[in-house]
Amino acid sequence: MSACESIRELLPWYVNGSLSVREARDVAAHVARCDQCRDELVEWVRLNVEIRQAFDEMGGLDEGVKRDVMHQTAGRTLANVNLGSFLLGLSFGASYHNGRLPIRGDMNLLGRRIRLVSTSEEVSNE
Amino acid sequence: MVAEIDNLLTRVATKDGAAFQQLYDRFADRVFRYALTILHDRHLAEEIAQETMIAVWNGASRFAGRSKASTWIFGIARNQALTLLRKEKRAEQSPPPNLVQADPAKDILAREQVMAAMESLSADHREVVYLTFYEGLSYGEIARILGIPPGTVKSRMFHAKRKLAEALT
Repeated sequence: MSACESIRELLPWYVNGSLSVREARDVAAHVARCDQCRDELVEWVRLNVEIRQAFDEMGGLDEGVKRDVMHQTAGRTLANVNLGSFLLGLSFGASYHNGRLPIRGDMNLLGRRIRLVSTSEEVSNE
Repeated sequence: MVAEIDNLLTRVATKDGAAFQQLYDRFADRVFRYALTILHDRHLAEEIAQETMIAVWNGASRFAGRSKASTWIFGIARNQALTLLRKEKRAEQSPPPNLVQADPAKDILAREQVMAAMESLSADHREVVYLTFYEGLSYGEIARILGIPPGTVKSRMFHAKRKLAEALT
């Protein structure tokens, strides 16, 4: 495979910013001195913008789907209160699920979540 | 961002409803669009988004953290979509796709042309394009979701580009 071919197959991921630092550096160095690959890169950049806009036009899910999913999973959130910060904080939540009102309370300590209270039947795996 | 999503998923594994709502808000539309690129049918894509998010709720404790949470979620969506596709045997019978919602805006024409070009791609090529440009995934992550070597991801993109260029000129 020629140098140009191996660079060109990386261009889509150079454009989306997901290449490793080393790969991105190799691409940047190559396109700086190769007119054909630079033209190809410009084309990918244009396609990237057009494709993203086109997918945005697809629209999203109906709100009804969210209601159905929540009904079958977590229930409807009635209240959620967060106090403090990432370093030290408390959070409490209450929801309605299948005729039950599970309540949950957690303490956050240095980014670690510690369950204080849970009236849910589910077992915590932390 | 990645750590934040992983943290949400960890909380979902403990049946934290508020965390699941946040995860739903971040992923449901994206899963829907991805399913749409595979299935070409809005109703089926909606069904897949719904089933995928329920599977995430039920299976979050099985997420081992070996890949990014988004890779895991899109992997679930893909499996669900392909299972449905096999069940419905719709691949050959699909009606003319209608991926773009009606929009009176004048500049929609150009976007429709792009979407028509996308529709000219095979589902295999279209999902690589979607995961690269809309989801911003690396070729390695896409290879893991699709269960194919990274080289195949690159060659699918190469062929997709050629078809897109033909359709847009």
